[in-house]
Amino acid sequence: MLLSSTNQEEEDDEVASKGGSELFAVRRATFLTIFLFSSVTAVTFRVFFTRLRRQRVDREAEMVSTVANVDVKQKDADHALVVAISCSAVLEDADDGDVHRVGVAFPLLQALQSVNRHLVEANSSESLLFDVLLITTDERRQRQSARIVSSTKHYGLEVSRFCFSDGEDFVESLLENQVQLFLSTEPEEVALVWQRGVPSSLLGHQTWSSPSEQLRVLLCGDDVIAAAAAESAQRFWSQLGAMRRRFGVLGSPVSVAVMTAHGGRRGFADALATLRSCGLNADEAHCLAGAPRGPILELLRPHVLLGGGLR
Amino acid sequence: MNLSNGVSGQNRNDAISSREDTKRLMKPSTPTRKLQPPKPENAITIAVSSRVLFNMEREQQIYERQGMEEYLKYQLEHESEPFSPGPAFSFVKALEAVNSRLRELYPQSEELFDVVLVTNNHAYVGLRLIHTINHHHLLIERFCMTGGNSPIGYLKAYHTNLYLSADSAKVREALQEGIAAATMFTQEKMKEVSDIQLRVAFDGDAVLFSDESERIFKAHGLDKFFEHEKAHENKPLDHGPLKGFLEVLGKLQRKFFHKGLRMDCPIRTYLVTARSAASSGTRALKTLRSWGLEIDEALFLAGAPKGPMLEKIRPHIFFDDQMFHVEGAAELGTVACHVPYGIAQRLADK
Repeated sequence: MLLSSTNQEEEDDEVASKGGSELFAVRRATFLTIFLFSSVTAVTFRVFFTRLRRQRVDREAEMVSTVANVDVKQKDADHALVVAISCSAVLEDADDGDVHRVGVAFPLLQALQSVNRHLVEANSSESLLFDVLLITTDERRQRQSARIVSSTKHYGLEVSRFCFSDGEDFVESLLENQVQLFLSTEPEEVALVWQRGVPSSLLGHQTWSSPSEQLRVLLCGDDVIAAAAAESAQRFWSQLGAMRRRFGVLGSPVSVAVMTAHGGRRGFADALATLRSCGLNADEAHCLAGAPRGPILELLRPHVLLGGGLR
Repeated sequence: MNLSNGVSGQNRNDAISSREDTKRLMKPSTPTRKLQPPKPENAITIAVSSRVLFNMEREQQIYERQGMEEYLKYQLEHESEPFSPGPAFSFVKALEAVNSRLRELYPQSEELFDVVLVTNNHAYVGLRLIHTINHHHLLIERFCMTGGNSPIGYLKAYHTNLYLSADSAKVREALQEGIAAATMFTQEKMKEVSDIQLRVAFDGDAVLFSDESERIFKAHGLDKFFEHEKAHENKPLDHGPLKGFLEVLGKLQRKFFHKGLRMDCPIRTYLVTARSAASSGTRALKTLRSWGLEIDEALFLAGAPKGPMLEKIRPHIFFDDQMFHVEGAAELGTVACHVPYGIAQRLADK
C-alpha cells in the first residue's frame, strides 16, 4: 500500500511529497502496532477470564449437592409427591451433643410418614407416596451435614434426600429435584419459592399443635381460581386428590380442607368446583364471608397452609 | 374408594366443560346485591344444619341403609337437583324478612340475623347445597362443612345464638356447652306461615325457665306443683336454655318499637305453657318481668293440648322440652322442635 501510494505520487513533485509520505508511513506503522498490540491483549484477557469463569462454575457446582439417604428406600420421582422441608424447621440447633432437637415440622413429618405407611399397607407397590427432601441453605449447617444425617436417622425420619444448597440457587435445586411442595419457617423463602410457581407453605408455632396421626392440608379458596392457571398447582392438586382417594371418606390419614376468607358463596362454590375439576375433593369446607379466621384456623389445625389469603 | 369424578381417566377438555357446567349451576338466579354479612360478635347467629334447612329424607335413608359411599354417590349424581324446603326453611325466610326491615330502618347497624349452614356433611355435598340455596333465593353466605368432625367448636367460633339440627346428640352437646339448641324433625304437614312477621313460640318450663318446678310436678304431682308455685310466686325461676334467644329477640323488637312499630312489629313472641293462669302462671310472668323480658302473648293452657292453640298462632317455630307436645304440634302442621333439656329427658330415656 505504501509502495502504491508512493508510485502514484511519483509523477507529482517528488521533493514536496517525500516529507508528507514519510509522515503517513509513520502514522500507519503506529496504527498497525497499536492494532496488533490490542488484539493480542484482548485475546489474552479473554483466555484469562474464560478460565476464571470456568473456575467459578466449578465452585458453584460444588455448592449445590444432593445426597441420597441410603437408609431409606428411594421413591419413584415421576409418581411420588415430592415435598421439600427446610432443615431448620425439622431439626433445631442444639448447643452441644450429637443430635439436633426436633423442630416445629416434626408432627408434620410424622403425619407424612403415617400417610405413606397407610398407602403401602394398602398396596405394597404403591408409587404415589410422599417423597421427603430436607433442604438447607445455611452454610453452617452444610458443614454439619453429617450431624444432620445422623439426627434424621436417630428420630427415624424417612427423608429420601438431603439437599445442601447455596442461597442463590436453592430455588433451582428445588426445581431440579421436581419439588411440588415446599415448607419452611422463613416467610421470605416461602414467598420466593411461591413466586417461582411451586406451592409453598409457611410453618410456625401452630404447626406444633397439629396432630401427628393425620396430615391436614388447608387450601385457601380465595386463591384457587388464580392459582389454577399454573400447571404446577394443577398437578399438585391432582396428585393430592389421587392420594386422598386411596382412602375411605372417614378415618383417612390425610384430610383436605378449603377455606374462603372473603366473598360469599359464589366464590366458595367456584373454588370447590375448580378443585374438583383438577381431581381434588375436599373433606372440610368453610366459607367465612369476612368472619375472623383465627378461631376457625385453631379448630382446623392444618400442617400445610396453601394460599396468600391466609397469611 | 373410587368415586368416578375428577380428572383421572378424563381428558382436559372434559374437565373444563364439567367445570363450566358446575359454574353455570352455581350462578344465583337473582341479581346479587353486595350485602356484607355482619361480624359474628355483632350479629344474632342462627346455625342450621342441612337436614333441617332442606328435606333430605331420601338421602338420609340411603345413608342409613347403604352407607356413606352410596350416599355420596347419590348426592353427586343428583347435584343439579335442588332439595325441597325442610322444617327450618320458613323460619330462615322469616329471619331474612326481618333483616331487610332492620336494614331499612338501621342501615349502619350490624345487629342482624346471620344464618350459617353448619353441617357434618363433606364438601362433596357442598355444591348441591349451594345450588339449592341459589334456587330458593336464600341469602346464606357462611358455610361450615365439617366433613364428619364435631361442629361444636365452630358453633362457638361463630358466637352462635341458636343451633338447629336433626341430630339430637349434637343438640345435647350444644346445650351442655351453653348454646341454645333444638332438634328438628321432618314434618309431613307444615301449615302456611306469615312471610312478613316472624313468630316464635316457647314452652315455659325447661325451655325459657329451668326445670326446677317441673321436677316437683313429676315427683309430687299436680297439686303439690300448684302449691309450690303459689308459695314461691315472687321468687324468679332460674333461666332455661332458650332464655338467651328470647332476650336477643326482645332486643331486636325494641329497635322496631323505637321506630314506632309496636303494633305491627315484624317479630312476635309467644309463651305457650301448660301452666294455668289462675295459679302457676303468675310466677312465670313475674320471672320474665324480673329478667326485663317481654313476651307478646302468654297462653296458659292449664294442661290442655298445645296443638290447636299453636295452629291458631301459626308460629314459624315452637320450642318444647317434651316430645309429647312436639308431636302434638307437628300433627297439626306447626313446625315444632325439641329442646332435650331437664328432667323430662331422663324420664323419657327410662
